[in-house]
Amino acid sequence: MLTKLTRWSRIKSPWILHLNSGACNACDIEVVAALTPRFDVERLGVLLKATPRHADVIVATGPVTRQMKDRIIRIYDQVPDPKFVIAVGACAMSGCVYRGAYNIMGGIDQVIPVNVYVPGCPARPDAILDAVVKLLGTL
Amino acid sequence: MSDAEIIQGLQKDLGGKALELTNPEPRRIFLKVAPADLVAAAALLRDRYDCAHLSTISGVDRGDVFEILYHFAGPAAVISVRTEVAKAAPHLATICPVIPGAILYERELQDMFGLVIDGIPDARPLITPDDWPAGNYPLRKDWKYERPEERIPGGKS
Repeated sequence: MLTKLTRWSRIKSPWILHLNSGACNACDIEVVAALTPRFDVERLGVLLKATPRHADVIVATGPVTRQMKDRIIRIYDQVPDPKFVIAVGACAMSGCVYRGAYNIMGGIDQVIPVNVYVPGCPARPDAILDAVVKLLGTL
Repeated sequence: MSDAEIIQGLQKDLGGKALELTNPEPRRIFLKVAPADLVAAAALLRDRYDCAHLSTISGVDRGDVFEILYHFAGPAAVISVRTEVAKAAPHLATICPVIPGAILYERELQDMFGLVIDGIPDARPLITPDDWPAGNYPLRKDWKYERPEERIPGGKS
C-alpha cells in the first residue's frame, strides 16, 4: 500500500532542477520553453524547483567544466533519493564541440550517473518532455 | 583624421620608438614598439588619438617569442600596438596605470600564456579553474593537453 502510494506520488510529481554546467544557453532556452504553458508540463506534475533539496530530477545541460565538477557532485548529493538525471543536448551527452578543451571533463556521465540522454543541439522542448515521460515510464 | 595623418602623427610623436607602422586595410593601423615603450605608447594613444577604449589584448605564440597585440579602438581607426616578448623571459609591464580596465586582459594573459605582468594590481588567476595545476598554460603551442580517460557507462558496444 505504502510503496504503491510512494510510486504514484513519484510518477505524478517529478519536480525538476535545471542545472547548467557550462552550456552555451541554447539548451537552457529549450528547457525553459518546455516549461511554458504551450507544452504545459504542469499537467504532468512537473514543477521547476530552485533548490536541489526539493527536486527529484536533475535536468542537466552542457558539458562539465573542470570548475563545475565538484559543484555538480555536491548538487547531486543534495538531491534526496530517489534521484534521476536527464542529460539534455549533445554537450551533456559527450562534451560535443567542447570535447578535448583544456577545461572540459566531458559529458555529465563522467561525473554523475545519467538515466536519460536527450540528443540534439539544442534538444527540442518536445524531446525534453518525451525524456521526462520516458523516465517516469521506467519507474 | 585619416589613416595617413595618424601614421604621420605617430611617426612624429614616437620617433624612433615606432619600430614598424603598417596600414594593411583602411581604418586599421599596426604599430610595433619595444616592450619598454608600451606604456608610453598606450598613454599617447589615449591622450592624443582618442583611443581610450582598449578592445582587447591578444597574444600569439610564435615559437621563441610571444607576440602581444593591444587593440585600441578609436573614432578614426583601430590601432593595434604589437610588441614581442622573449619566451625565455616572459616579462611585460602593466598598462593599468594608463588604462585601468586592461587588468582583466592582463590577468588572462598570465593564465593562458604564463606571461608575468610586472606591477599588475591584482595577479590572481582569472579564467583557469581553481584546481588548475601551476605551470600549465593552455595557449602555448608546446603545451599538450591530456584528456582524462573517458568512462563509458555500460561499456563500449
